[in-house]
Amino acid sequence: MTCEKIREKFADYLVAGLDEKSLGDVQAHLASCVACREELETLSAIWTKLGVLPQEQPSPALRQRFYVMLEAYKEGMEKEKTRASVGQAISAWFGRLMPRRPAYQFALSLMLVGAGLGAGYLLSGRHPDRRSEVAALRQEVKDIRQITAVSLLNQASPSERLKGVSWSAQLKQPDEKILLALLDTLNNDPNTNVRLAAVDALYFFYDYPQVKEGLVHSLAQQTSPLVQLSLIDLLVEIRERRAADALRRLIQDEKLNPEVKKRAEIGLAQLT
Amino acid sequence: MEEVRDGQVERLAILFERHQIMLYNFFLRLTGNRGVSEDLVQDVFFRILKYRKTYQGQSKFTVWMYQIARNVHVDYLRKQKPEVPLEEQFEEAASPEPLPAEKMDAEVDIALLREALSGLSLKKREILLLSRFQEMKYQDIAKLLGCNIGSVKSTVHRAIKDLSKIYCQLQGGTTP
Repeated sequence: MTCEKIREKFADYLVAGLDEKSLGDVQAHLASCVACREELETLSAIWTKLGVLPQEQPSPALRQRFYVMLEAYKEGMEKEKTRASVGQAISAWFGRLMPRRPAYQFALSLMLVGAGLGAGYLLSGRHPDRRSEVAALRQEVKDIRQITAVSLLNQASPSERLKGVSWSAQLKQPDEKILLALLDTLNNDPNTNVRLAAVDALYFFYDYPQVKEGLVHSLAQQTSPLVQLSLIDLLVEIRERRAADALRRLIQDEKLNPEVKKRAEIGLAQLT
Repeated sequence: MEEVRDGQVERLAILFERHQIMLYNFFLRLTGNRGVSEDLVQDVFFRILKYRKTYQGQSKFTVWMYQIARNVHVDYLRKQKPEVPLEEQFEEAASPEPLPAEKMDAEVDIALLREALSGLSLKKREILLLSRFQEMKYQDIAKLLGCNIGSVKSTVHRAIKDLSKIYCQLQGGTTP
């Protein structure tokens, strides 16, 4: 057998995975071939030596964290199950109310529309102060949305913070607190995806002067090329002229990613 | 694992107890960092829960688990910027100076081996770790990597050869 054929078996030899016949072939070849014998000796020596690398024990915190995660996951699953079964019960109940024949179904829906219109007319006529009540309710919903968004932005889990960013983006008139929280996320969040989402969210609010200023300042603080690219795109798109200086400074940074540099130069040309 | 997939997620605890130490050491030898390795183990078990429905009973659980482990490690490397060489990450880094053979005690030897391992390409290191320490058969490694068993064997052969070369150089000896 050729040396090449024999050497193909060395990997199996190391893990004692050769059958008797192959082992016999290898041994017979080694007896007459010094080069192969030496190679196998070297391989076996280091293979055995690797055994001195100790197996280490993880800290007890690993086990603790695992069980916390497992519990949380189980709880989440159970909640989902109850939610699903309540949903099914409600739809089954409505299902029973629905008449079988399409003609009756149509009639029922017409009746309901009529009843709704009538009730709405009566209620609006009788209570002129309803409107202010509705406005107050709207304000309350808006406040709740803002509070939820800010508190999500402060969560430890990146996916929760992502949710926070998308909640914030849905607000029609965000207050100062939300804008500051979003800018803070953009500058300080450890997770690139969350920062990227923050750039996208802030795009909706670029009309606010503090957002414009914050975006320009943020350019110097970003280290991730992805976030830098996305910020440059945004600043160029909103035609923020103050960004030109920030871009010039960025281009001068020697450690800057070449792709980002190229984009920054194009952006600068578009702005000036 | 089938039970976990079918909704008895508490059974994952058994799998965790069985595999956490092996998995931790796998990551430790890849990253050289204890804290990171614990995070990665946690991430593997989280992904097992998240993707449990995709587990198909035909393949071995360990093959599937190490597939996830490799993805977790790749994602970790992507997030690392700028990339720090392995030997700098290890908390007890090896001495960069070659030491005379007589002065070598077990600890220096371990450090040298770790440094030599970090000198291998990621692919060779992974395959070597899987076959030498994770007790995986070549057949299973081939399944895990989606390649044929011949290429796994030849990679192990080349990895060990390279490792031996690097180790000798670190010792200050000549290449065999």
